[in-house]
Amino acid sequence: MATLRDIKSRIKGVKSTQQITKAMKMVAAAKLRRAQESVINARPYARKISEFITHLVTEEDITHNPYIVQREVKNIVYVIVTADRGLCGAFNNNILKEAMRQFSINEASGKGITAHVFCIGKKSYDFYKRREFTIAGSATGIFSSLKYETALQITTELIKKYLDGTFDKVILIYNEFKSIIQQRIVTEQLLPVPVTLNNEEMEKPTDFIFEPGQKEIFNYLLPKHLKAQIWRILLESNAAELGAKMTAMDNATTNAKELIRVLQLTYNKERQAAITKEILEIVSGANAQKTG
Amino acid sequence: MADLNIEIVTPSKITFSGQAKSISVPGTDGNFQVLFNHAPIMSTLEIGLIKINIDNNKTLFFAAGGGTIEVNNNNVLVLADSLEEVISIDVERAARAMERAKKRIEEKVPGTDLERAQFALKRAMNRILIVEKYLPKDSVNSRL
Repeated sequence: MATLRDIKSRIKGVKSTQQITKAMKMVAAAKLRRAQESVINARPYARKISEFITHLVTEEDITHNPYIVQREVKNIVYVIVTADRGLCGAFNNNILKEAMRQFSINEASGKGITAHVFCIGKKSYDFYKRREFTIAGSATGIFSSLKYETALQITTELIKKYLDGTFDKVILIYNEFKSIIQQRIVTEQLLPVPVTLNNEEMEKPTDFIFEPGQKEIFNYLLPKHLKAQIWRILLESNAAELGAKMTAMDNATTNAKELIRVLQLTYNKERQAAITKEILEIVSGANAQKTG
Repeated sequence: MADLNIEIVTPSKITFSGQAKSISVPGTDGNFQVLFNHAPIMSTLEIGLIKINIDNNKTLFFAAGGGTIEVNNNNVLVLADSLEEVISIDVERAARAMERAKKRIEEKVPGTDLERAQFALKRAMNRILIVEKYLPKDSVNSRL
């Protein structure tokens, strides 16, 4: 049986934890508003530029353009975007689980495809480091102050390694920000740029005038497209993380409140029992004297 | 005459979305204007001025930092790298950026990205030029 003092110190401990989780929730909520705004602002550009690209693709590109040609896949890289820090519920775990699922699909296909990982966020870096994966590249500690330059660096590295043949395929796995309480895990192909041929067959392509030329426009736009996509997924993941953190911390605060209530009840019962016991002792003592 | 549907998007937000009579853009092969029923065209854009004629008595001026335009079926989509309306350009900031870029180009410190510095200089000069030319004299610069 716990003594009164034990229970009291536990209550104190839980209370201070509750204060911390409450503060963390507030911080996440404050940051979330800005993160949400920037992701919503970045989405239209990313979407429009990818539409633009699909309008530009021609029959010739499909067999010749290095960014579009489907090479025989020997090396595939998974860009795995997690948070830098924990305490955000199942946010990181879900991503890592999905990545593992992708790896096992790869292995099961039996084509001898080598899977590489490109870690964004400290959590995924630590995870794969521990499991001794070959880490093709990483960007950690970037979410506390997210900068466009980071997206540029990541994109440049990926493009370089894609063009020199280190990777034949680039897949992104990240959390998409759906709402404050909802994240969606997205697995998306970045390179080669996915082109849906069906669309082109259905609607007759418009006869565009190209200035200066189709190829020039494509070459101008493609790096921008990739950068915009990477920048968007960083923002998505950041907003989703803050949302997950807010929910997790809110739950923790509620749980702490319930725990305090139960502990307080036990404390009161214990105290009452002690008092009753003491009175009983005094009364029985007095009675013993009387009869004696 | 019907209107064009114009949408201008930059990486940080949708800057303009609405209907207008015409739009003039700084194309790589020369400036051009898009009116109703313009032939489908795709073009890259240079640093320069984008002019939108909303109707006969309202015209908007923007400083653009390069990008692309797609015109198809009277829908105009401009993807601009940067875009500011003339009344919201911060002239002092542009002037500072210009000085900085000039210095970088002149000093030729090894490791400086010359191309980037020249690009920055061009953009800053474009902003200043557009403010001088197109800022309505009676309007108050919203940044000041």
